[in-house]
Amino acid sequence: MNEIVGIVLAAIISWLNFVLIDTWMGLPESPGVKGAEVIGRSVKKRGGDLAGGFFQGNIVCSPDASAGTLLASIACYAIGTPEGGLIAAVLVYFGNRLCADPGYAGTTGALSITVIIFLTSFIGFKVEYFIVGMVLAILTIQGLYHTGASRLLGKLAKKMGRYTKLT
Amino acid sequence: MIIHANVLNYLIALAVAIILALALRLPLLPDKPMRDSWTVSAIFPTAVLAIGFYAMAYELGYQGYIVALIIGIITALFAKFILEKLVPRPETEESHE
Repeated sequence: MNEIVGIVLAAIISWLNFVLIDTWMGLPESPGVKGAEVIGRSVKKRGGDLAGGFFQGNIVCSPDASAGTLLASIACYAIGTPEGGLIAAVLVYFGNRLCADPGYAGTTGALSITVIIFLTSFIGFKVEYFIVGMVLAILTIQGLYHTGASRLLGKLAKKMGRYTKLT
Repeated sequence: MIIHANVLNYLIALAVAIILALALRLPLLPDKPMRDSWTVSAIFPTAVLAIGFYAMAYELGYQGYIVALIIGIITALFAKFILEKLVPRPETEESHE
């Protein structure tokens, strides 16, 4: 598979993996820690969406499915599939617990991307595509345009029934 | 890509950890809504920890049915007696409602 095409497709798969799992696990519903609330309110003040802001704040403040996806990709590259992904899931779980988070999103993200890496390896995807892809995916949420990204995340949260009740 | 793990060993570690966790009176699943629950249960995190710990042992060169069995037992005991002391749940949960 062409490297550029592979990276773009891996970025899309990684984006869907972490955004859907994080939303399903309720990241837009409420801030897990004070820092996430500060980020969410700041994003809202700048014209963004509060639920999307909480999502962005939560993934900054604890290792959720975004970190799980990235760490599992790196661990699969460094150690092998599936051992790397399984070890990453354990490490992400302990990281979550240290960050006042019960750990469902992070471990689910790490385990799901491990399965995805294994399955897509049969159609020519390399593990390194997912490392680069995940960096690009997280860039679209946290690095380019906070307010626009938060509005998109807010719409997704509404569709999945995870929109925040806070104002 | 070659999957070089022995799937059966993972299943042994998983099954032993879940069965022993249930025997130690851990619930099968966390309380509902699960995404907000801090309850240590047989499925989460015990099962996840069991396969993760076996993967660590595997990479360190310890493999086989006996290792999987021991990892399963240690994981269940760890989840029941040590986990909450090692990484306790936050003492004060803020109410945002």
